[in-house]
Order: sequence, then C-alpha cells, then structure tokens
Amino acid sequence: MVPGTHYLALAAFLFAIGFAGVLVKKNAIIVFMCIELMLNAANLTFIAFARQSGSMSGQAIAFFVIAVAAAEAAVGLAIVIAVYRTRGTISVDEVEALRDR
Amino acid sequence: MPSGQDIAALLPFLLLVLGALVLMLSEVFLRSGGRGYQSGLTIAFAAAAALAVPFAPQQVLFGGQAVSDGFAGFVTMVVCAGLALSALLGRGWLETRNMERGEYYALALFGASGMVLLGMATDLLLAFIAIEVMSLAVYSLAAYPRRGQRPPEAAFKYFILGSFASAILLYGSALYYGATGSTLLSAMRGGGGALLAAGLSLILVGLAFKVAAVPFHAWTPDVYEGAPTPATAFMAAGVKAAAFAFLTRGVLAMVAGTPFAVGNELGGVLGLLAVLTMVVGNLFALPQRNVKRMLAYSSIAQAGYLLVGVIAASRPESRAQGTSAVLVYLAAYAVTVIGAFSVLAVMEKREPTPDAGSADAWDVSRFAGLASRRPWLAFAMAIFMLSLAGVPPTAGFVAKLSVFQAAAGAKAWGLVVVGVLTSIMGVYYYLRVVVAMYMQPAEMEEPAAAPPTVAIAIAVAALLVVVVGFSPEPLTAWARAALLRM
Amino acid sequence: MGASAETVLFWIFAVPLIASAAGVVAARNPVHAAMSLVSAFFWLAGIYVLLTAHLLAFVQVIVYAGAIMVLFLFVVMLLSLTDAELGLEKLSALKWVGVVGAAGMLVLVVSALAQSGPRAMRAVGADFGTVRAVGRILFTQYLLPFEATSVLLLVAIVGAVVVAKEKI
Repeated sequence: MVPGTHYLALAAFLFAIGFAGVLVKKNAIIVFMCIELMLNAANLTFIAFARQSGSMSGQAIAFFVIAVAAAEAAVGLAIVIAVYRTRGTISVDEVEALRDR
Repeated sequence: MPSGQDIAALLPFLLLVLGALVLMLSEVFLRSGGRGYQSGLTIAFAAAAALAVPFAPQQVLFGGQAVSDGFAGFVTMVVCAGLALSALLGRGWLETRNMERGEYYALALFGASGMVLLGMATDLLLAFIAIEVMSLAVYSLAAYPRRGQRPPEAAFKYFILGSFASAILLYGSALYYGATGSTLLSAMRGGGGALLAAGLSLILVGLAFKVAAVPFHAWTPDVYEGAPTPATAFMAAGVKAAAFAFLTRGVLAMVAGTPFAVGNELGGVLGLLAVLTMVVGNLFALPQRNVKRMLAYSSIAQAGYLLVGVIAASRPESRAQGTSAVLVYLAAYAVTVIGAFSVLAVMEKREPTPDAGSADAWDVSRFAGLASRRPWLAFAMAIFMLSLAGVPPTAGFVAKLSVFQAAAGAKAWGLVVVGVLTSIMGVYYYLRVVVAMYMQPAEMEEPAAAPPTVAIAIAVAALLVVVVGFSPEPLTAWARAALLRM
Repeated sequence: MGASAETVLFWIFAVPLIASAAGVVAARNPVHAAMSLVSAFFWLAGIYVLLTAHLLAFVQVIVYAGAIMVLFLFVVMLLSLTDAELGLEKLSALKWVGVVGAAGMLVLVVSALAQSGPRAMRAVGADFGTVRAVGRILFTQYLLPFEATSVLLLVAIVGAVVVAKEKI
C-alpha cells in the first residue's frame, strides 16, 4: 500500500514546479499552462485526502476545480488573443505600456 | 436539502444573475439606436437586489456553506450601490465613445453577483467559485474597449496574477481540507497542526493578492490605469468590498476556532501586512502626477486601513467595533472612489488612438484651474479628495475614525500611530489635485461637458459623502447592527 | 490489487508525471510545453485511478487533456508565434524569486505533511469514486457550488466572446 503522504508530496512537487514556472517563464501561454499545473496539484491533493479519509467530498471538489479551470482557460486565452492583436507579442516582459514613469 | 428559505435568502444573488441574463437578451431583441434603457435596467436590478436584502431570512444556508446575515446584507448593499453608480458612469463614458453594448452591463451584473455570493460564503470552495465569477467578469470588463493597447494589457496582467493567486488559494484550501476534513470555515474549530497552518497561510496569500495588500499589490496600478474608467471604479468599490468581507469572515473563523496562539501569530502577520500596505501604498502615491495611478496607489493604502479594521475585529475585546468599522470603511470608500473616478472620467483626455502620448491622459495638470471653469465639478472632486484623505466633515473621515477607534479599542497603538502618520502623508498628494483645481491658472483646453448620467453619479456620490460626513449616526448604527453570524 | 503492484504503478505514473511537468517549464516552444502538459495530465489520470477516483480519471482525460488543451493548442496555432517571440527568459532577479519561492513553499508543505504523520489509507466501499456516488454528492451536499458554477461557465462564455471580439 502506498501511504497517502507519497501522493501528497507528489502534489506538492507538482505545485512547486507550476509555481516556479509562473515566475520564471516569459511566454504568456506557458505561464498560463503552469497555472494549470498548480490547479492540478491542488486537485491531486483534494483527491488524495479524500481517499485517505474515505469521504468523497474531495472528489466532488476536484470536479468543480476542473470546471473553473475550463472557464479560466476560455477567458484567459481570449485575453491573450486580444493582447496579441494590439501589440503582436505575448512576452510578459514586453507588455509594458502601463508602468510607473 | 435546500428549503424555500434557502432560495429566498439567495434572492439578491439570483436577481443580479437574472439581470445579467435580461441585459444579454436585450442586446438580441432590442437593437434600437437608443441604448439608454440598458443602464436603466442595470440600475433597476441593482436596486431590486438591494431591496431584497431586508426580506432575506437571516440564517445559515446549504449546510453551512453560506450564511445570510446582517454582514452579508451590508456587503450586498455596498456592492449594489457600487454597481448602480458605476452603471450611471458607464452609460455616459461608453456612449461618448460609441461602445455602449448590453454585454458591458451584463458582465458588470455577473461580477456583482459573484461579489454578493462571496459576501455570503462561509465555505472555501464556494468562496473560490464566487471569486472566480467576480474575477472573470472583471477581467473581461477591463479588456472591454477595443481601443489601443492599454485595456487588453490591464486585463492580461490582472488575469495572470489573479489566476496565480486563485491557484495558491485553492492549494491552501486543499491543505485545509486535509487538515480539517471539510472546506467549511466552521471546520477550523478544534483543528490545528502544521498542515492547517500551512493551508491557512497559503489562503491568506491568495486573499492578500485579491485585496491588493503589499507585497502582493504589484498588479493594482497597471490594472487600474489600463482598465476603462467605469470598470476601474466598479472594481475599486466592489472587488475590494467582497474580498474584504470574506477575509474578515475567514479571520474571525480562524480566531474563533483554533487552539494555537492565533492572537500572536495571525495578529503579527496581519499587522505586518497592514503596516507595509499603508506605508508602501502612500509612499508610492506621493510622486504620482497621473491621477488615475495615484488613485490606484491610494486604493492600496486604503486596503491597509481596512486591514487595521480586520485586525481589530480579530481581537475579542474589539470584535463588534472592528467588524462595523470595516463595513463603514467599505461603504465610505466605495461611494467616494466611484465619485472620484467619475470626475476623472469627465476630465480624461479622449483621443482617437489612446496610446499616442497618453501618459498625460490623466495628468494632474489637466485639473489646473478647473474651479474657475467648472466650479461644481471642482467642488465635487475636492470633496472626494478630502474624503479619501480622511478630512472632516466627509465620509472618509468617519470611516478612518471608526477604524482607528476600533484599533485603539484593541490596544493596537502601533497600528494607530502608523495609520495616522500615513494618513497625514496622504493629505499631501490628495491636496495636490485640490491645489491644482483652485490655485493654478487653467492651461488646458476647455474640458468636455459631463454627460448627464455621469453628472448624476457625481452629484449622488458627493451628496452621500457629505451627508455621512455630517451625520454619520445612521450608517454607523446600521453597520453595528449588521453583525456576523458565524 | 496487491500492495507491491500499487507501489510499482505509483512510481510508473509519478516519475513521468514530474518529468513532463518539468518539461512544461523547460520548454521554449509553447507547442512543446502543451504536449508535455497533455502527457502530464495523462499520467495524473493514472494516479487518480490508483486513488480510486475513476470518474475523475476519465474527466481528467476527456475535459482537461481533451478540451482544455485543445483550446490552448488552438490559440498557440492562431498566434503563429515566430521564434523571435519565444525569445529569452525573464529577468534573472524574478527568476530567482520564483525558484526560491517555489523551494520555500515546497519545504513548508512537505514539512507540514511530515509533521502530520503518515496516515494509512482507509478501506473504501466498492462504489467509492463511481459516477453514481460522486453525482449524488454533487447534487446534494454541493448543490449551491454546483449552481454557482453554472453562472461561472456563463460568465466565461460571455467574457471570452466580448474579449476576443475584434470590434465593439
């Protein structure tokens, strides 16, 4: 039997990879994919805890998270398209019409 | 199983959703040239939702996932007032730019429905979904105008940092679920341990992003500047109110439930956040000549004062005082900031391509000599600036006073001192606008006339700010009555 | 399923999962990143099966790997990014903040998990994680979030259309 801690540590690794990716990557779409990784890590945590405690509510929550991720993806990608249309780049560093001057 | 009472308590939320659906359909069926009815419909639904609040049964809903109490009712009222005022502003602003569509109001109503739900939520999953409803609507509103690079960029920055914060919040909720076996805030009672502490700190980080507390504030100035002005006004008033409502609930549940030394640990962390937010927000606002950016940094600073109120609410001896101070502050800030953004919307430079040299679109020099040209507009702006600075007799003064009184009741003298000092610092940059209006000669071309609906929004906001400033008792009494039911 | 078989399967799924997650961060080309992410979702679905979340494993493959990733790939293709835009990485300062922050978060969570101690998996009934059981919870205990999610999806549709429209 694999102890629950293994699954939870796996989720923590996944979350850390996504977290680092959001801050390290430059391409907006990849940054967004890293956010998806973080959401998946949260889902794995919910499901692992649900299995550990034998209560299924964690699985129901994971369901909602998938729906939220889909909604976020739709709006987020639309915003990426809008940015690309107005300036022809989606590099996080080069989008800087708005800043302190 | 939900009863009819549960549904009745959700009526404000349902009315706002219904309003959004009606506004969307209005775009399909009523393509007439005059679109004025759309903002009218929005205001009607906002008013209906606010009127439904007193009739909502005061009870715990859906097995404790939400609660309809006086606190939620107050937040609903603030959100609805913000929605109605910003719809008036949006009507004038969008019409003069020929971009008025039903979708704008539909998204605003959807956003308001998310805010209302967040004000009622006592469950981390429901709060997460409500935050997403609110945020997705506000991201879309920020990107709404198709002119120039700024609106999509504002939405882009808001989206990346906002969804990053949501993911952190969600992971924190997952750890919380593991520690307590539930996502209900009430499940904290009797919990403890390192897992709960880790979960709660991640949840706090996620919420700090949403309320724009330093050091998680980096998105605010860019988003506030780039978003269309009516949307900025709506997010400044509504998002702040809803996010602080949930933060207050969460902190109170934490204090009520946990055995570990919350008073010290949590108070310390929140206190640090509050001090940083007050100091950094005011410090960065000082050199801003761009009034829209200045208001953005000012909103960060106001989050600091609100955090002081939350800290006061977390201490048992000043629980009621702190909670009502947060509510008074949210109401005063919402009305004041929408008024200020409305005046700004009248004054801002309108160009065919907003990117060409638009750094000065909101420059303080545009306000120079306004008092001689538009005495009433200048007078209203002066009222809003004084209210933001916390000068009597304005609503902002009443709000700051009640927050500092609550903090004094909690014996948090350090926070009171920092709060008063930074407020004095704030007077400088707010008064710069007033000085420009009243003491400098006019340089710019004649400002455009305010559209009638925007003038109404400004007049109503200014009137509310002054009336509350002179007789604060009704508002404070209402906030005291609107206590939390955990 | 025997205990040792489960351990073997766990590592068979976990190692490629971490590798493909790292691949998302390492990739320069968004198409490569997207493909790594798809494979990560598949391995994660395998982990879900090990955790007796069969319905979610299917949903993970169908909705995440199927629908959401197709949306990502569509946008990547639509933008037809040239190599210039793939470009260099971010400022080194933020990079270090990211790495240190992620490491700190990992230490925080793993130490918290270690402190809470290893807990054995509880035995579960045959209907754990089935469509019927999860569906029952969704429509009873989680009715309010379920309805709120319907509003969320509507907001997402309206928002996406409004934002992606070329002209207002």
